[in-house]
Amino acid sequence: MSLLEISGLEVAYGVQRVIRGISLTIKEGEFAALVGPNGHGKTTVLRAISGLARARAGEIRLDGKALTRARPDRIVAAGIIHVPQGDLLFPGMSVLDNLRMGAYLPEAARDEARRLDEVFTLLPKLRDRQTQTASTLSGGERRMVGIGRGLMAGGRILMLDEPSLGLAPIVIDQIYELVQALAKSGRTILVVEENAIRIADMADRMHLLDNGAIAWSGTGQEFLSSPEIFATYLGG
Amino acid sequence: MDVATQILISGLTLGAVYAVSTIGLALIFGALNMLNMAQGGLLALGGYIAMWAMQAMGWPAPLAALAAMAAGSLAGGLIFVAAARPMLGGEGFETRIFIATIGIGLMLESVILKLFGPQPQAQSLKLEGGIMLGQVNLPWQNALIFGTALLMLVLVAGMLNRSRLGRAIRATSMNRDAAQLMGVPIRRIYLTILMLSGALAALSGIMISSMSGLLPNMGADPMLKAFIICVVAGLGNVPGAALTAFAIGMLEAVIQYIFGVQYAFAILLCLVIAVLIWRPQGVFGQKEVVRL
Repeated sequence: MSLLEISGLEVAYGVQRVIRGISLTIKEGEFAALVGPNGHGKTTVLRAISGLARARAGEIRLDGKALTRARPDRIVAAGIIHVPQGDLLFPGMSVLDNLRMGAYLPEAARDEARRLDEVFTLLPKLRDRQTQTASTLSGGERRMVGIGRGLMAGGRILMLDEPSLGLAPIVIDQIYELVQALAKSGRTILVVEENAIRIADMADRMHLLDNGAIAWSGTGQEFLSSPEIFATYLGG
Repeated sequence: MDVATQILISGLTLGAVYAVSTIGLALIFGALNMLNMAQGGLLALGGYIAMWAMQAMGWPAPLAALAAMAAGSLAGGLIFVAAARPMLGGEGFETRIFIATIGIGLMLESVILKLFGPQPQAQSLKLEGGIMLGQVNLPWQNALIFGTALLMLVLVAGMLNRSRLGRAIRATSMNRDAAQLMGVPIRRIYLTILMLSGALAALSGIMISSMSGLLPNMGADPMLKAFIICVVAGLGNVPGAALTAFAIGMLEAVIQYIFGVQYAFAILLCLVIAVLIWRPQGVFGQKEVVRL
């Protein structure tokens, strides 16, 4: 049963069409990855799903409910949680207040204490940093707060935009261990990642975005065993 | 000692008036990047509505003040719905809304002029009498202004720091996209901010007119000072704006005593320029530090 369905999605910035009629589906509990070279529209796809970028054509449905061109707050309320590239934390707020903002909507707010405890169990470092102002955190800590804030929101599907971007290799490993643990716990996850090799052995399904269009879809194992795909699209 | 007390009373009263009118501007700029040039008109609207409610309707002072704040709030809301919302997200929003609110401010002044006439009028919402502190008279009106301003600042600070709405306002000010991704309905937050700012401007208008009387263009000078305070504090910084308002009020009172009223504004501007050369981001503004 498909949880998220995207069909014929088109997004343009001015006259520049950056997403060219892509279609993809993500099943409940699936760990999906959207990979592709830098600047080919991966982030724009996530921004269109979460309502930050306006879809020019096509449809986005969550559990059959149309969300195309809905306001971002309605999309969050429907259950699509987007952890954006660059974290987009609230710099003047403490770590705790950033996390609490994740549980802004009434349903999440009612369950705030339990979710906070869950986030601190998954990311114990944040418990120690909870009174620290977000602007003073390191890149890795900021990423953890970003993901923790997304977990506070709950939702039906968690979208992570380049969770490894700009981090040291050891921190990337920690972040992906967390993402893998979330996937194993049954969460539906869509990760955007430039480093396709990094994600291929974790993802149930991969979609390769080339110049705003889906050029290939398959399992992570199929991707790893198709060197021609890697060579053609990712310069390997 | 008496001189110091007199300066303190004068400075705190000025600071209180400036603080109430400035925090609304700071909130709007922080969240929307919008300089609301209709603030002066909203100040005048508040002053006149309070006077009208007491004189023409015979309402008691607290009800008249609430009516003025409700009118200011409604006008603020209309500014958002009629001008800011259609322009939001479009190219050059900051410039277009700046010009639009100049027009709205002038319209408000014209309506007040038409309804109440050009002649100066006294504010009816005013306390008479005072108390002697040594040789210095503390007018009850000044005490009321200071007390009301303090109460408003505490309420606004409490709302911003302790309520869900306040957290949403702060989040929207810090990062609009991130706030939306948390489920914050930012257009409703913007509307709330404009309405809150309108109510505060109206209250400030009552305070100002109780000291200097009512004129349709009475809001121009306080609005200019409120903008100066916002810039000195660091645009969009609400607690900084409140503190700076009191500092500027005290400074103005001292300058008025030493050099005379006619030099106060000019000297104040020189000091402001010096502060901005020293800290272009404002006294409480922060340069972004990037850690990897």
